[in-house]
Amino acid sequence: MTVMTQERARFKPGAAWLTGLKQSLAVTTLLNRRLLFSGSMLVLVIGFGVLGPIVLGRDNPMKTVGGLYDPPSEKIWLGTDNFGRDVFTQLMHGTRTSLVIGAIAGMEAILIGLLIGTMAGYIGGVVEEVLMALTNVVITIPSIVILILLSIAISTRSIFAMGLIIGLTSWPWTARAVRAQTSSLRTREHVDIARLSGAGTLSLVIWEILPYMLSYVVMAFVLQLNTGILQEAALSMLGLGPSNTISLGQMLNWALLWESVRTGAWWGFAPPALFLTLIAFSLLLLQASVDEILNPRLRKA
Amino acid sequence: MIVKNVRAYYAVGSRPDVKAVDGVSFSVREGEVLGIAGESGCGKSTLAAVMSLTARPPLNVKGGEMSLNGQTFSLIEQTKFPRDWHGKLVALLPQRAMNSLNPTARVRDFVVDVVRAHDPTVQPRAAIDQARERLEQLSLPARVLESYPHQLSGGMRQRVVAVISTLLNPKVLIADEPTSALDVSSQKQLVLLLQLLLECRFITRIVYITHDLPMLSNIADRIVIMYAGKLAEIGTTHEIVNNPQHPYTQALIASTLDPDPQVRERQREGIKGAPPDLGSPPSGCRFHPRCPYVMDICSREEPPIVGEEERFAACWWVLEQSQKTRNKETQR
Amino acid sequence: MTRFQSYLLNKVLWFLLAFCIALTLNFLLPRLIPGNPVDVIVGEMTSGGTLSGEVAQKVYAAYIAQFGLDQPIWMQFLFYLRSLARGDLGISFARSPARVQDLISQALPWTIALQLPAILTGWIVGNSLGVLTAYKKGWLDRGVFPIFMFISSMPYYCLAILLLYLLAVHLTIFPVAGGYSFAMTPALTWNFARSVVEHYILPFSSLVLIFIGGQSVGMRAMSIYELDADYVRYSRSLGVGDNRIIAYIFRNAMLPQITGLALAIGSMVSGALIAEIVFSYPGVGTLLFSAIRQNDYPVIQGVTLLIMIGVLTANFLVDVAYGFIDPRIRAKQVGER
Repeated sequence: MTVMTQERARFKPGAAWLTGLKQSLAVTTLLNRRLLFSGSMLVLVIGFGVLGPIVLGRDNPMKTVGGLYDPPSEKIWLGTDNFGRDVFTQLMHGTRTSLVIGAIAGMEAILIGLLIGTMAGYIGGVVEEVLMALTNVVITIPSIVILILLSIAISTRSIFAMGLIIGLTSWPWTARAVRAQTSSLRTREHVDIARLSGAGTLSLVIWEILPYMLSYVVMAFVLQLNTGILQEAALSMLGLGPSNTISLGQMLNWALLWESVRTGAWWGFAPPALFLTLIAFSLLLLQASVDEILNPRLRKA
Repeated sequence: MIVKNVRAYYAVGSRPDVKAVDGVSFSVREGEVLGIAGESGCGKSTLAAVMSLTARPPLNVKGGEMSLNGQTFSLIEQTKFPRDWHGKLVALLPQRAMNSLNPTARVRDFVVDVVRAHDPTVQPRAAIDQARERLEQLSLPARVLESYPHQLSGGMRQRVVAVISTLLNPKVLIADEPTSALDVSSQKQLVLLLQLLLECRFITRIVYITHDLPMLSNIADRIVIMYAGKLAEIGTTHEIVNNPQHPYTQALIASTLDPDPQVRERQREGIKGAPPDLGSPPSGCRFHPRCPYVMDICSREEPPIVGEEERFAACWWVLEQSQKTRNKETQR
Repeated sequence: MTRFQSYLLNKVLWFLLAFCIALTLNFLLPRLIPGNPVDVIVGEMTSGGTLSGEVAQKVYAAYIAQFGLDQPIWMQFLFYLRSLARGDLGISFARSPARVQDLISQALPWTIALQLPAILTGWIVGNSLGVLTAYKKGWLDRGVFPIFMFISSMPYYCLAILLLYLLAVHLTIFPVAGGYSFAMTPALTWNFARSVVEHYILPFSSLVLIFIGGQSVGMRAMSIYELDADYVRYSRSLGVGDNRIIAYIFRNAMLPQITGLALAIGSMVSGALIAEIVFSYPGVGTLLFSAIRQNDYPVIQGVTLLIMIGVLTANFLVDVAYGFIDPRIRAKQVGER
């Protein structure tokens, strides 16, 4: 333990955030090809979903434009679905819905995970045991089951409600990772200094510990976003999707119900399936490349 | 055994190679323990890897040859060496041997693998018996064979590794910091074991690499002092300990603790400065930035070998001192 | 108590705790609907025309009686537990008077026959591939591995849909739906067996491919980590052959993979169920799908309970297996100075 001189014992609030940000930014300069590839894929998809409808002026995915499973043509780029609606427009709106629900779920999961993880990691002792036991229980019980039970219980499944319940079941991963980080950060010198200067627990966590977890939090958010989108798709496939809007999973659900696969109408299922895969793959690739940057050992291979 | 002019560099991406070992030569006689001493980062572990024929990229052997058992071969391209050499010709006793055993295998299963790697016709039973016999000869409990590594103490694990490394009676055992992670009594037991191995002629030579000079004075017959990838001094243990010539050797000796209170009175602090970055080592003599006797020429040219093959120091100042002595003698 | 025994006890207690919580959740969550749930559901059905007035009355009466919905919640819970203890999961709304437990027991064998081999095969093959890719590198690492990484990030049903379309619709190599040919009735004949196998291949392949992909990605990362381990370097220095070293790495990297398996079983099972829907495979997944469409609450609850218990049990078994395999838990402390 080094001797603390007069200068070093002075509590500098905010210094941790500066250092933490600098560290995270330094890491991002190690951009590799995979990161750029997955990042640009994501930007394209997001642009497609969010800006597409506005730019192309297609704001109603439920409008009938043709017959049952019309094949793609010059005017209707991806053909029509079982109700004669434009698949291309549906794809845009569906992507947007899926992304929004995924984002809501992801942010909620991160918040809950951060809260529980930092409390467990920082306070330790009985609190940590209890919180970790809670986390383990939530992990063991399959989330899809909880989601199904909750979904059939609520009367209207709004986008917000869906995001909410999905986030409610997917936070354990983040909580675990955050707790591990917090436990190791807790023993650092600047935390001791801050504590001795009388900082309260909450402000300690926010100002001295969080800054060094930034890269972890970003990685966790990417994963939670992925989980959110995939869980929504799974629910929608089962028929428990958002009530009034369309999502990628919803499109797949209709495609299955109305036999688009068996009738060979590939435009019914291929676009949403492809987009879901694309989003999931890009997010995972993004997470893997960030992981590689943070864990140099994986880089060698 | 003779090694000549070993050069081994680490390739580190776009930066220049780290010259961990840059022109090292020495010999080890039969029945002898040669100690290699130096600070961390002087290249001793790299040398251990090269000598035990286990160098892999990014460690590239750029030059050097070894003569052993009547054959001489180049040390470059080590990944292509016949597998038979590993363990039968040269064997490594690694650092941190406690972690060198597979945690999910019993010791006896590992022994079987090692023996059969060199002779697939040997039955597992026979291999285990061979190991048991060896353990008995060395007065070690045979039940370690049945154990998993985590069931043994650190010291015992180290000794087990020493036994396994020498099971096939290699010509030379390269011991890389074998005692640095052990407590004093375990250290003593390991050293006794190594000496016993030599006595029984299961191995015929030991190269003992360490930063612990006092340890070497107990076990080594001759000592080589390494600094920054090159040899600084070589001589018998007695000569090195009592009459160190190279300034670095003198500093090393001076910085070690001695139980004799009179010696302790004369202690200085540790050597000033830090070992150099081997990617861009100092010009001329690599020790010159830290040397108390540094002269002009030291920073310009590499020092010559002053002395004979078995007893020399690579130092300009030593050269000057010996010339002064010779001049004084001729004057008389 | 030995280390292994205390480990086992710990796992058993966990299992019981999670089991109780699962039961409670299964009971509570759907009852979040305000008002009398049976009222709402039956009302929906009669107005939608799926049930006639008389049948609706019967179903309604049966449920009120069985679940005692006029009773306070804790009594309802006791009823629930009592029925469960008898193996009684209620009567299906949509297919009454069929009992839920019968519907489930008809579908369950199909699901288990599909998922169990798929998970086991996927785990073994995937992990082996992972180790090999990490150790041998070369074309395996550059060519095959990225493909698996792509496949493993696909949602299960996406691959299922893709395979179904390509191999059954477009190329008509495999049958397009069902667990066996629609023309047949189940019987112990060769014809029937062959039809079952035919219908089995696509669903099985889609699951196995994804499991292999997922496992190999994780195992490769673990193995890369192990490659640096001291015991690998030491074994090599003594001349031990590559095959043996790969076996060592496998055994060591496998341990965290087993833990990972325990964590992943939940999502693997649910993903596989959804994949069943794609193939109209007569398993639990398809049952769930149709139950959701028909608002058949008893069936839904029965299936979710089954899934929860199944996953918890699988988790428990994997944990026990881990205790056997990791010598640090299994072997007694010998201690030696």
